[in-house]
Amino acid sequence: MKFTRKLLASSALAVVASVSWAQDVSRENTVIFDLDRTIQDPENFNWMTPGTKRMHGAHQTMWEPLFILNYGTGDLDPWLATGFDQNDDSTEFTIALREGVEWSDGEAFNADDVIFTVNLAMTNEEISSREAATIRAQVASVEKVDDLTVRFTLQNPNPRFIVENFGVRIFGSFLIMPEHIWNGEDAATFAFNPPIGTGPYTFTSAASNRAIWDRNDDWWGAKTGFLGLPAPQRVIFLESGGEESRAQLMASNQLDAAQNVSIGTFEAIAAQNPNVIAWYADYPYSAADPCARQLEINTTVAPWDDANMRKAVAHIIDRNQIVNVAYEGTTTASETMFANYGSMAPFIDAVVEAGYGLPASADVAAGQTLIEATGWTRDGDYYTKDGETLSVDIHVNSASTEYTRTIDVVVEQLQRAGIDARAVPVENGVFWGEVLPFGTYEMSYSWLSCGSVNEPWASMGRYTVKDLVPVGERSPGFNNTARWDGDRAEAYSAVVDEIATRALGDPEVPALVAEAYGHLDAGTPFIPLVQAAKLLPMNETYWTGWPTAENYYNHPFFWWNHTHQIIHNLEPAGN
Amino acid sequence: MTSQDNMPMTRAEKRQARRIRRFDNPWMNPKLTWGVAILLGIVAIGIIGRFVWNLDLVFTGSAPLKLPPLGAENLRGQPGVMEYPLGTDGAGRDMLALIIVGAPNTLFVGLLASLIGMSIGIFLGFSAGFIGGRVDDVIRVGADVMITIPPLLILVVFQSAFGDVTLTMMALLIAGFVWQSPTRLIRAQVLSMKQSGYVQMAQLSGASTTHIMFREMLPNLVPYLFGSFIASVTTSIVTAVGLEVLGLGPQRIPTLGRTIYEAINAGALIQNLWWWWGIPTLLLGVMFIGLLLINLGLDEVSNPRLRKLS
Repeated sequence: MKFTRKLLASSALAVVASVSWAQDVSRENTVIFDLDRTIQDPENFNWMTPGTKRMHGAHQTMWEPLFILNYGTGDLDPWLATGFDQNDDSTEFTIALREGVEWSDGEAFNADDVIFTVNLAMTNEEISSREAATIRAQVASVEKVDDLTVRFTLQNPNPRFIVENFGVRIFGSFLIMPEHIWNGEDAATFAFNPPIGTGPYTFTSAASNRAIWDRNDDWWGAKTGFLGLPAPQRVIFLESGGEESRAQLMASNQLDAAQNVSIGTFEAIAAQNPNVIAWYADYPYSAADPCARQLEINTTVAPWDDANMRKAVAHIIDRNQIVNVAYEGTTTASETMFANYGSMAPFIDAVVEAGYGLPASADVAAGQTLIEATGWTRDGDYYTKDGETLSVDIHVNSASTEYTRTIDVVVEQLQRAGIDARAVPVENGVFWGEVLPFGTYEMSYSWLSCGSVNEPWASMGRYTVKDLVPVGERSPGFNNTARWDGDRAEAYSAVVDEIATRALGDPEVPALVAEAYGHLDAGTPFIPLVQAAKLLPMNETYWTGWPTAENYYNHPFFWWNHTHQIIHNLEPAGN
Repeated sequence: MTSQDNMPMTRAEKRQARRIRRFDNPWMNPKLTWGVAILLGIVAIGIIGRFVWNLDLVFTGSAPLKLPPLGAENLRGQPGVMEYPLGTDGAGRDMLALIIVGAPNTLFVGLLASLIGMSIGIFLGFSAGFIGGRVDDVIRVGADVMITIPPLLILVVFQSAFGDVTLTMMALLIAGFVWQSPTRLIRAQVLSMKQSGYVQMAQLSGASTTHIMFREMLPNLVPYLFGSFIASVTTSIVTAVGLEVLGLGPQRIPTLGRTIYEAINAGALIQNLWWWWGIPTLLLGVMFIGLLLINLGLDEVSNPRLRKLS
């Protein structure tokens, strides 16, 4: 009885406490972003280890990048750095850091922090994050020139070194950590709690479904005149759940920016809440995402270890139907592995001219011929061989209807062609944490050739034999999770390594891309499906200044590291 | 021949005659009749539908998206069309085909799960009640322990681990959680029945245990068994639909629960695609009403005090 009363009293206290704490910042001073995943370890802020440790607001509000690639202008916008120099063969890069940058605990941010963090990634083999693995694969040494200048020496020429590692080209960047806190800690196990950063917000609290960040009015940027303080006093990243709850929260102004929704849902939200906008004011509303969708195939699992079987699947897939059913016409079929950006056109054209472009419609008969050529015979609904039915499990991230419905369509197409396919929906964290990196799937829905925005290597370099690991071991930086191996893969890797050394704009590159693509097409470690389009509802009830096609200061993908720019651009709507 | 034979019966007399007939045959009560008719109706939709409708329309992408039922209009102003009289869902599946395939599937899982569960229950309940002693202790404690475990919790874990399951598999899993109540019920009935004269007479005349259990006692328990069976069908369907609505049922085999899951997942409420979630929900409601009526009807059969003069 006593215990119960105590419990009641303490829970009542907790309620009172949380209410008073929630009232600290009013709704009109708070911006609420949608989070598409559960934060499995909300107490841990070590971004170098796997898990949701940066996209829940940490790298949007607290940790700042050195540069930010501006998708609108193609320039690298300087942030914590002011610029860089490189030598002629792209093996040495010197970065100039901004003066006056401070960690939120008042310590100065300088070259020592950069060198310390890079050395952590280079020396600690247990660190598995993609950004750290890339640094480890590229950097030979890093040295301090002076307090605000750092020089990197690379293992191989890499003209893209800065944009690839420090420029938020795709999703994130290599984040610099404070030496005075991380020093002496094991980077593979350190929890970094409480976390600090250089950003205008500091960490307040987190639970599995939300993270709260409050403005640091003593931010260095405002003191040095780099940028004014951002308008929102509080930033919340809130896990909204599925499309329905996302839509209801948006319609009732409990969310300021939502993750991807289907076009029908967006129209319904906009009809209920006229303040809700998207990238385009009209159809198709959505912004082109640089991560084209694909079907990843584990090339070590029979019968999909046979390239002809993989090609057969590629023939059977009808991209038009995916566009029409899963995207309701708001995107286009992929011709190659690349994003259909204007800056990628020379490479896409070279591939298509060489005859490796993918058709938008299916050629089921060609696919079936390939299957039959490998000894399978159609027995009723499905192909069989030695009493075994031709079947495949396709793992798909269940976080969005975009993903699951694409795979539902693919499953249907394979079923009709005689392959007993089925979808295996998996929770976001499990999908990225366990299924993909360790190769525990037959086929999966992903966008792992994502990377290229204005040159071909970033995407192509993700499928080379250099990153080959056996099933059960973690793929370095999600590269070559298909575990593609053999002569074709070797030949492909050789050409791609050649492309890696070429400067941006080298006229011979498109021909090399076509040559490499020939090997890739023959090997088919993955099947490009469709271009990705993100329809992100943004709410102007409390905040204006969202990125749109007309207000194109950068793209609207607010789970990326560049979201600092979005938050700085937000202005109170006055409601 | 008396004059009475030729005289037509008055209305009151007719009603009384009907009532008397009903007393004679308690199985013919209207609740039971209606309940069975409703369930048979759903089965009939499934059977007849298979002959008159194109069932390939249950697959993703086989029809235009989000069409409303005939006579209605969706948010884009498209009217319903004859080809898809109940409309289509957000993935291009025909609602009518989904119901023709899905509704019997849902019923099937419930029936199969409780058939298996009941069989286990009958066997264990009789064994416990009739044999007694250690056997009784083990079965009673086992059932009591199992009854405290919330089935949905365990099943969610099971199904997540299995990934995609077939309907039969799902029924088997659910059956593991519906045998406890029948076991206890039958054990109690058997214990009281054991003392009755005819059982003791059978024992005295040297009938075997199985003979007494299944030939002498079981027929007297039939109304109870039916009642218990229908109750466990309801429980099984609720459990199955619960799992399906969480997205844990079979992936590609249409069921009413999964259709609701997909509707919720794709934002059907905010898009006002009421037919997508409404029709399966309505059907589930009808199904449960049917089961409830059967249950009430069976109660009247096994408990004469409930048979009221109407």
